Amino acid sequence: MRRRFRRLGGPGNAAIAAVTALALCSGMWLLHDGAGTPAPPQPSAAQARSGTAGHRTAAPALPPSPPSRVRIPAIGVDAPLTGLGLTSTGSLDVPPADRENLAGWYEAGTTPGETGTAIIAGHVDNADGPAVFYSLGALRKGARIEVARRDGGTAVFTVDAVEVYDARHFPDEKVYGAAPRPELRVITCGGGYSRTTGYRGNVVVYAHLTGGR
Amino acid sequence: MRRTARLLSGTALAVATAGLFAAPAYAGESRGTPDGTLEVYPSSVAPGAQVTANTAGCGDGGTAAGDATAVGAGRFTLTASAHERDLIGGFQVPPSAQPGTYEIVATCDGSGRRVAGDLKVTLTPDAEQVVPRGSVKTGVGGALGPDPVRTAAGVSALAVAAAGGTWLLHRRARGDGI
Repeated sequence: MRRRFRRLGGPGNAAIAAVTALALCSGMWLLHDGAGTPAPPQPSAAQARSGTAGHRTAAPALPPSPPSRVRIPAIGVDAPLTGLGLTSTGSLDVPPADRENLAGWYEAGTTPGETGTAIIAGHVDNADGPAVFYSLGALRKGARIEVARRDGGTAVFTVDAVEVYDARHFPDEKVYGAAPRPELRVITCGGGYSRTTGYRGNVVVYAHLTGGR
Repeated sequence: MRRTARLLSGTALAVATAGLFAAPAYAGESRGTPDGTLEVYPSSVAPGAQVTANTAGCGDGGTAAGDATAVGAGRFTLTASAHERDLIGGFQVPPSAQPGTYEIVATCDGSGRRVAGDLKVTLTPDAEQVVPRGSVKTGVGGALGPDPVRTAAGVSALAVAAAGGTWLLHRRARGDGI
């Protein structure tokens, strides 16, 4: 009996070794690749709004023109813009999630460069991984945001603050409210993540027009 | 300065009525420029407002002669824009313009093709600009840590590997040949 077992044990050992190696490799691959990227960066308290301190003079407003692209050199963003409307609940709609390098602007609102508050939004991630505004939370005060416009010009904005808000206490007026000078908001998801409810809020970048060409 | 009225919303209505300030409201603007039309942006304005007009109806290159005399803004020229095949130009609606809908036309130089679009002039903004509210759903967590199903599969696979390894070591210790 023992001899038979040993004779059969030869190929058995090889099979077990193969299965073991395969399981080890696939297990490591699943766990390693699954760990993916770290959570998107979130702004620190130092990037919050600080009254009027550090505000540079705003550039004169540009005539209205729909935007075509947004560029944020500090975090490597260069993305086309699509028009966004509102959802049935009145919240800002979002660009299609399957195109990770696509951002959107609120086309019933102010155009970037015009006096008022222009709004740009994009995904922090989609099902496949990081998306256009993954690094938005890492942006710092003073960074430059460029919006290329359909009239051939470019509106250049300077970041005033980067804040993160919980969705339950979203400051609508502060984010979307009117402004007496040309301003821009860039919005993406952030503020922690829950498996059941998704991202808890939004990262919001506040910027104002400081140049145009 | 002219367009600040829109931002001051309600309080600016009286001023806007006086025609000193432009307060365009253009909710639901359509995008894109289908061939053969002149896109006027904003399509609804108050007297005194700056308006841009663009078209993809003239083909590549060249210029087009714009005509906004209907609204009293005279002629203007459309030239190549940053966008392929798009010609763009602009004019100012006179502060004295009367409310109504005006046809703005442009004629392509070369082909002579005529494209047109409507501009609506209102004394007061159509409605206060609709502003979004609430948070924005711009992420699903795909950039984050492991998917639980995937993690479970990985852990199971490692458990199988551990069991296999243990069995092999066990056999070796018993001298079962390995």
